[in-house]
Amino acid sequence: MGQEPELQRFPACNTADMKDCDVIRIEPPGLRPVAVYCLDGEFYATDDTCTHGNASLADGEVDEDGVVECPFHAGTFDVRTGEALSFPCVLPLKTYPVVVEDGTVYVDLEHGRLQEG
Amino acid sequence: MPLIEIENTGERFQQNDIDDCILRAGLASGLGLSYECNSGGCGSCKFELLEGEVETLWADAPGLSARDIKKNRRLACQSRALTDLRIKMHTAPEFCLPVLAKRQSLSLLERRAVTDDIAEFRFQVDNEAVFLPGQYALLHVPGVDSPRAYSMSNLPNQNGEWAFWIRRVANGAATTVLFDQLRRGDRLILDGPYGMAYLRPDSPRDVVCIAGGSGISPMLSIARAAASDPAMAGRRLDFFFGGRRPADLCGQLELAELSRGPGALVTYHCSISDPDVGSGWSGERGFIHELVQRQLGGQLSNRECYLAGPPPMVQATQRALLLDEGVSQDQVHFDRFF
Ligand SMILES: Cc1cc2nc3c(=O)[nH]c(=O)nc-3n(C[C@H](O)[C@H](O)[C@H](O)COP(=O)(O)OP(=O)(O)OC[C@H]3O[C@@H](n4cnc5c(N)ncnc54)[C@H](O)[C@@H]3O)c2cc1C
Ligand code: FES
Repeated sequence: MGQEPELQRFPACNTADMKDCDVIRIEPPGLRPVAVYCLDGEFYATDDTCTHGNASLADGEVDEDGVVECPFHAGTFDVRTGEALSFPCVLPLKTYPVVVEDGTVYVDLEHGRLQEG
Repeated sequence: MPLIEIENTGERFQQNDIDDCILRAGLASGLGLSYECNSGGCGSCKFELLEGEVETLWADAPGLSARDIKKNRRLACQSRALTDLRIKMHTAPEFCLPVLAKRQSLSLLERRAVTDDIAEFRFQVDNEAVFLPGQYALLHVPGVDSPRAYSMSNLPNQNGEWAFWIRRVANGAATTVLFDQLRRGDRLILDGPYGMAYLRPDSPRDVVCIAGGSGISPMLSIARAAASDPAMAGRRLDFFFGGRRPADLCGQLELAELSRGPGALVTYHCSISDPDVGSGWSGERGFIHELVQRQLGGQLSNRECYLAGPPPMVQATQRALLLDEGVSQDQVHFDRFF
């Protein structure tokens, strides 16, 4: 039987599977879905559910400037800080620390944090 | 007549000759196309054109950002189909019109000054005035190319009366005609009602109404409805009005009349924001959302909140309610007056 992945080191994807401005959704068992982004060779993770509606940000679009756009009302967030950039989104998203090791992207699901308003 | 298909949902509707844009054609067919202002300002009605040709009614509408234009998006409230279309657009049941909009001809009954720059306009139609308190209608003002949105200040009624509190905008195309040229008996076309920021009488919570400037119009309607509904007896309604100067303050008299109603108990609060107003003013100062927080901070998450006014005022208030006060998004109902 395989071991449960550790939440502090949750394997999200392989670096080779993502290109610039890609976003994927991961669904860790029992936790809220998380969106993982590739931006200019770096990886970032935030909550996947838009703070305004019930949309999945992984279904939205990421631009080169690090802005993810919710597919519903086109509210936007900064994927690096989680900050809500445009109305009607005002609440920030939780961001999660990410490390890359040997071509695997790991998300620390235990240390999600909200940027201070 | 062009047929429009929403690719991501499979929904279809027809744009009839009477429909002036895709958005209103879709809403009139009972679909929940995403929208807020109907005026090109908010960007909620963005869509992607996949196939077909449209005519753009207002190319410089501020509801589209540079990012949207780069991505070839358009506004459904500023586009008319010229051929059959395939589009990609967000739809949801919350946007379906609770009362189907229709066009009707109104005549001006009375214009009454409320402050230096706000007047109450009362119009008459031949049949019942059907809308929900808090909604708005589009007025096609003679000589003005595109309709303007105005929120009803009165209650739905059998007499066919539609009332609006309208603020004169310096050199504004529509308000100049409404204030200076329209005479008693003159007619214009009303298309409505529209809008999602209507009173939820079924919510068990106490209510807060927060109005900036002409945002008072729909808030009056909501307060009137809540105060006259016996089902809302025992509920509190705190009414906040923000103006720039003392001369802008209004609504006290109308709200005082509500104190004898069988429904919610209404309390009026106001604040002025212009720091240059002298010591003659002894009341509250500052932006209206600041007064809301001073008076009700810590209790707002148990309130149903209704907001209307200029976009910066609504946005600042929304931030205060959601970020500082932890009010849940679905308890906040707003219209931004673009
Ligand atoms: C939902 C909603 C409810 C509102 N309710 C009220 C109310 O109850 N009372 C009140 O006083 N005001 C209300 N307004 C504001 C009102 O609709 C007008 O913007 C305001 O009266 C100024 O109109 P104007 O023509 O005099 O000014 P202008 O400066 O000539 O026009 C202002 C508005 O007209 C529209 N517009 C301008 N040019 C064009 C164009 N080329 N094509 C299409 N549209 C154009 C835009 O929406 C713009 O913001 C509301 C606005 C909205 C969105
Ligand atoms: S509904 Fe079209 S821009 Fe607001």
